[in-house]
Amino acid sequence: MDLTAPVLTGYGVWNPLAWLIAFIAAAIIVYLIWKTGESSYKRGTEQGRPYLSGNAEPDKGAVHIRASNLYWGYLQALKPYYDTIVPVHTGVLTDYMVWFVAVTALLLLIIGGLP
Amino acid sequence: MKLTKSFNRSLWVFHLNTGSCNGCEIEIVATVTPRYDPERFGMKLVGSPKHADVLLVTGPVTKKMAPRVRRVYEQVPDPKLVMCIGTCGQSGGVFYDSYNLDGPIDQVLPVDVYVPGCPPRPEAIIFGVVKALEKLERLEAAQ
Repeated sequence: MDLTAPVLTGYGVWNPLAWLIAFIAAAIIVYLIWKTGESSYKRGTEQGRPYLSGNAEPDKGAVHIRASNLYWGYLQALKPYYDTIVPVHTGVLTDYMVWFVAVTALLLLIIGGLP
Repeated sequence: MKLTKSFNRSLWVFHLNTGSCNGCEIEIVATVTPRYDPERFGMKLVGSPKHADVLLVTGPVTKKMAPRVRRVYEQVPDPKLVMCIGTCGQSGGVFYDSYNLDGPIDQVLPVDVYVPGCPPRPEAIIFGVVKALEKLERLEAAQ
């Protein structure tokens, strides 16, 4: 099998040599643009930090959008549910045992029916 | 300071107001209008100090602006020039005895060219740019 031969897929043509030539040409253009850059650029100084009208750059954590913002609408839609359910989670083991016994009794009544 | 060939051909300018009354700003804007058209020499105002060769500073440098002026100066890539536009940057001007000044500008930054006037006319600002180019030529010759 000739790896450099064009392949007709029925939807188009795949020519590895053409891709290789395009990649090399792009790499040369990228190198030439990179070469024109200012070599005296100082890393790790203010030259590498963003320009914020002369203000100091805040901590990354202070300016980044928190992940919880992504599902803010979801939490807002379920707010009545959370308002009810969060206070029930007291963290006291006996409270959870009471809930367990009560829900089990309720299920037994529903499944077994009233005597 | 290493000078590149392109540096003294097309100076890109970043303007920084350090507490000016806006008189100098109006003249700077007038300078870049088609009437004077410094862009035919490759000179233009840019929006970030990271793209600039020249820092055009106006105003007497208030205490609040001094650290910001230093930061913006550091953000301009080397080699760079500082032009002081207007009397306020040179002496404090009408604000010379204010309690709220860290300036004039040469107390905060090394200044290469002074353009006096309150405010200086566009012709004076362009003359200042010519002086900056002359300084660059002298630096280049000394290299």
